[in-house]
Amino acid sequence: MFCNIYLKRIRAALRDPTTLVWTWVFPLMMATLFYFAFGSLDETAQLQTVPVAVVRDSAYQQDQTLQTALQQVSQGDSALLSITYVDSTQQADTLLQNEKVSGYILAGDVPQLAVSGSGIEQTVLRGFLDSYQQTKNTVSRAVAAGVSDPQQLRALIARQDFTEGISLTKNPVTEKVGYFYALLAMVCLYGSFQGLTSVDRLQANLSPVGARQTIAPTNRHILVSADLLGGITVHTACVGIVVLYIRYVLGVDFGGKMPLVLLTCLVGSLVGVAFGALVSVNHRIKDGPKTAILISVIMVLSFLSGLMVSGINYTVAQKLPVVSWLNPAARISDAFYCLYCYDGYSQYFLNIGILLAMAAVMFAATAAFVRRQRYESI
Amino acid sequence: MIIEVKNLVKRYGDLVALDHFDLSVQEGEIFGLLGPNGSGKTTAINCMLSLLHYDRGEVSLFGSPMSPQNYKSKQKIGVVMQNVAVFHELTVLENIDYFCGLYVADRKKRRELVDEAIDFVGLGEYRKFLPKKLSGGLLRRLNIACGIAHRPSLIFMDEPTVAVDPQSRNNILEGIRRLNAQGATVVYTSHYMEEVEQLCSRIMIMDRGRAVATGTKEELKAMIRTGEKLLVELPDLPAPVLREIQAIDGVRQVSYQNGQLVAHCMMGGHQMIAVLDLLRQRQLPFGRVFSEPPTLNDVFLEITGKQLRD
Repeated sequence: MFCNIYLKRIRAALRDPTTLVWTWVFPLMMATLFYFAFGSLDETAQLQTVPVAVVRDSAYQQDQTLQTALQQVSQGDSALLSITYVDSTQQADTLLQNEKVSGYILAGDVPQLAVSGSGIEQTVLRGFLDSYQQTKNTVSRAVAAGVSDPQQLRALIARQDFTEGISLTKNPVTEKVGYFYALLAMVCLYGSFQGLTSVDRLQANLSPVGARQTIAPTNRHILVSADLLGGITVHTACVGIVVLYIRYVLGVDFGGKMPLVLLTCLVGSLVGVAFGALVSVNHRIKDGPKTAILISVIMVLSFLSGLMVSGINYTVAQKLPVVSWLNPAARISDAFYCLYCYDGYSQYFLNIGILLAMAAVMFAATAAFVRRQRYESI
Repeated sequence: MIIEVKNLVKRYGDLVALDHFDLSVQEGEIFGLLGPNGSGKTTAINCMLSLLHYDRGEVSLFGSPMSPQNYKSKQKIGVVMQNVAVFHELTVLENIDYFCGLYVADRKKRRELVDEAIDFVGLGEYRKFLPKKLSGGLLRRLNIACGIAHRPSLIFMDEPTVAVDPQSRNNILEGIRRLNAQGATVVYTSHYMEEVEQLCSRIMIMDRGRAVATGTKEELKAMIRTGEKLLVELPDLPAPVLREIQAIDGVRQVSYQNGQLVAHCMMGGHQMIAVLDLLRQRQLPFGRVFSEPPTLNDVFLEITGKQLRD
């Protein structure tokens, strides 16, 4: 009996065009769109080569040290500067005004920097010249003091870092993965359509098939649980396919813990199905408005979890922590984040626990209505 | 008695949907519930099936009180809903198999029953069709197959022929007769009096949640004063003669329109001879003459004062 109901539900769900569009086609399209839209997002945060002009006047021609230093920082893949040589300050000013360069350098006892504004690139140029001047002064003082050993002089020039930058997280936190995780959270919550369909078709006061099934000599608990389980199975499979697509086709990293990623899909789908089932039990609301309610609520929850604006989830977590904890989309995307970033599992399982509690509360509330087999009106 | 309903009262707020409703159906009957839309037929069935709460009364099926948990009785009941109740994502075969599976767990036995049901409703060619590919009539037949595939001994059919073409309607009615011949008791609701008259061994006429009359069609017709309706084709009928016909003993009402005299007569009289004699005496030539016995609509009209299809 259970299998009959369960298999029927799966078969029906797989042939339902609404399921197909909302849980497969739409997320796959969104993921692909994200891939192209945010593909270079993380790279743009890295420092680019700074365009600068250098005036080749007589002072420059005589300053071999500056020439060598400029040559070193403008060569190779990791070049700091992209240099345009000009013969006069007028030419350099023109380039600066036309924003072709971020600044220009004039050689002299103390090289001068001309810029037309302030920003990261101007700070980089200022930093380079300060560093150059400091090193030059150090070497000059050392030579004056009688140091002539080339190795000792090289040691003076060599830079040593006494601090080491380490990441608090296992993988670097990037904006791009945040969008994909928020998208997956939304897809999980789309399981609400499965919940909506299940309850609608089990309640005699909501549909004729509900009446037909209620009349049958089938234990109500078996009927409801098998049907909902069928919906959960189909939706989890749908989310799993989207995850596999994002991971292996689009190359988005999940931190290498695929079984736990799939567990998150399952728990997220549970919450989605439970939410849809809870909305569906209200027989006073028609199907259209129910769907509109589901989509609207999911959109708001997804927005707050960072689907549309990166970092909004952190803002909500800081300013309105209760809202963040009660937002299933935020918990689901955070669970994915935990798997990606952290070695430990405490935060991850806290998220999973909260999601399971949400699902349990919503299923319990739904069960109170769905277990009825007699109605005031049909 | 296979169905015993006593003093059933169902209210929707101020509206009384069933007003001290009583019903008894014997095994092997095709019992018709006849009444206009909103007369309480579907509500009565839903109360009998324990789908609806009711305010007062008792419902007993197969000798035991009916409740949602009475699986023993439910096992023997089949229901053909007024609205088509099938899954639109499943094929004809899958739909019937699923609903049959809610009653019959054994797969082998179920397969036989499903094949039988498909043959019974004549959907053999459409086994793998999705419901959306079926015409209205075929969809109704699928709806019936889903309700009867498990071979129930009591079948509730709630207006199964609504919006069905005449050919499909005849198929459905023929199918109901066959089910009854195979031993099923059928409770059939309709607001089509011809169907009920043609099909049912006993009929209950309902109005405003009350059973206004119950009996065989002959018994129901005998309850009223209206007898046959005479129709006489004649090219001309002067008004004085029309008044003379109205005055004939046993004639209740006459009219003349479009070359046709219509005379509603009292039950048990022989007014046709008297009417035709009068026309001959007044040397009025007439053509064809028809006599129609009273219909259930006449019964309904006389008892409730309104047309059945109001």
